[in-house]
Amino acid sequence: MANAVPFTLITPLSVKFDGQAELVIAVGTEGEVGILPSHAPYLTALRPGLLRANVQESGTTRRLELACSEGFLQALPGKITILADAALAPDEVDIAQARADLAAAQDEQKAAGGDLAAHARAQVKIDFANARLAVAGV
Amino acid sequence: MPSVRDLRDRIRSLKNTQQITKAMKQVAAAKIRRAEALQKQSRPYADAIGAMLRDLIANVGSIDHPFMKGGRGGAPGGVILMTADKGLAGSFNSNLIRAAEIHARENADLAWYAIGIKARNALRRQSRETLQFWPLAQGVMFDSAQELAHRVTDDFTEGRISSITLVSPKLVNMMTQRPEVRQIVPIAAEQTEKKPAQGSVEFEPSPEFVLGRLLPKYLEFTLYSAMLETNASFYAAQLVAMNNATDNAKKLIDENTVEMNKARQAAITKEILEIVGGAEALAG
Repeated sequence: MANAVPFTLITPLSVKFDGQAELVIAVGTEGEVGILPSHAPYLTALRPGLLRANVQESGTTRRLELACSEGFLQALPGKITILADAALAPDEVDIAQARADLAAAQDEQKAAGGDLAAHARAQVKIDFANARLAVAGV
Repeated sequence: MPSVRDLRDRIRSLKNTQQITKAMKQVAAAKIRRAEALQKQSRPYADAIGAMLRDLIANVGSIDHPFMKGGRGGAPGGVILMTADKGLAGSFNSNLIRAAEIHARENADLAWYAIGIKARNALRRQSRETLQFWPLAQGVMFDSAQELAHRVTDDFTEGRISSITLVSPKLVNMMTQRPEVRQIVPIAAEQTEKKPAQGSVEFEPSPEFVLGRLLPKYLEFTLYSAMLETNASFYAAQLVAMNNATDNAKKLIDENTVEMNKARQAAITKEILEIVGGAEALAG
């Protein structure tokens, strides 16, 4: 079995995952990052997107896929921590809600015009809605 | 002396009150468990974000973020007043409002944000201008905290307020909740005391960028956990208040029952005396 490292995914509302992971792939502000065990100390901000991880559960490896909102990833040689506002498993996604959020955020972005901060805020919402739809397989 | 019927009515009404206060006490006891569970669930996040912040600050040379510097002079200080939405919790809400008033007396120029219906109403009564208001509803608490954080961040960076102060209850234990006034922005230097960097941590894209992202998140979370604490404190205060009310109702019921028995006995004695007196008059 491949090497594994303790991995925790924490949201303000709950600890979403706490276990062993062989690989964690998250969407950083500079692009996707894949973290393997024994990574050098590393800290980055995350964009909303698909969080994927190979986690070990009762002796087998399982693929974990979650729609993650904005957050942070901290990798240490013996530990990976992700902080996110929300992380949703495929069965937790409300598809109609995600579609409605996507449409609302796109309108918001159009209305933002030259206001860069509002444009960026809307982009975050669009990314999170897209991630939720992607994780739900739509 | 009140009649037997008056006393009986009074006892009945007291018993109804007692039933209500007892029910509210049980509801508060159930809700406090839920509020405490929410608080407990947020603790891992608090620990993790605190640790990340410390790591970052240890690794950043100069901290160039608006939150770490004093606000623009001349602008009013921003105050967030957090109370519950409802009353019937003893002096819980009024203690918080008084703490805010004392703060207002010491600092002349202030702008207000209200969390909780009682806070909004108090500020309105004192005819202070409230910039924005959110209820302390449990279901959407995290969303409200985020909105509040965005609003105060925007106001702070655009110079409409010069600092952010939070007035909220601290849950010392189940019996004691104390109002607490603390400044959360600019972040005080001692909160972020530098400790030697632990080896080289790589930041992507740069420590300053990540810190710029982390500080607003930290503020968001600070406000969220303050709201959770307000919620838990409210139910703790209500539990105590309703417990006292139930005890007081019981005491009053007992006193009135004794009174009623006396009145009934007096009426019976009087009736017997009348009958005896009447019989003697007839015999005589």
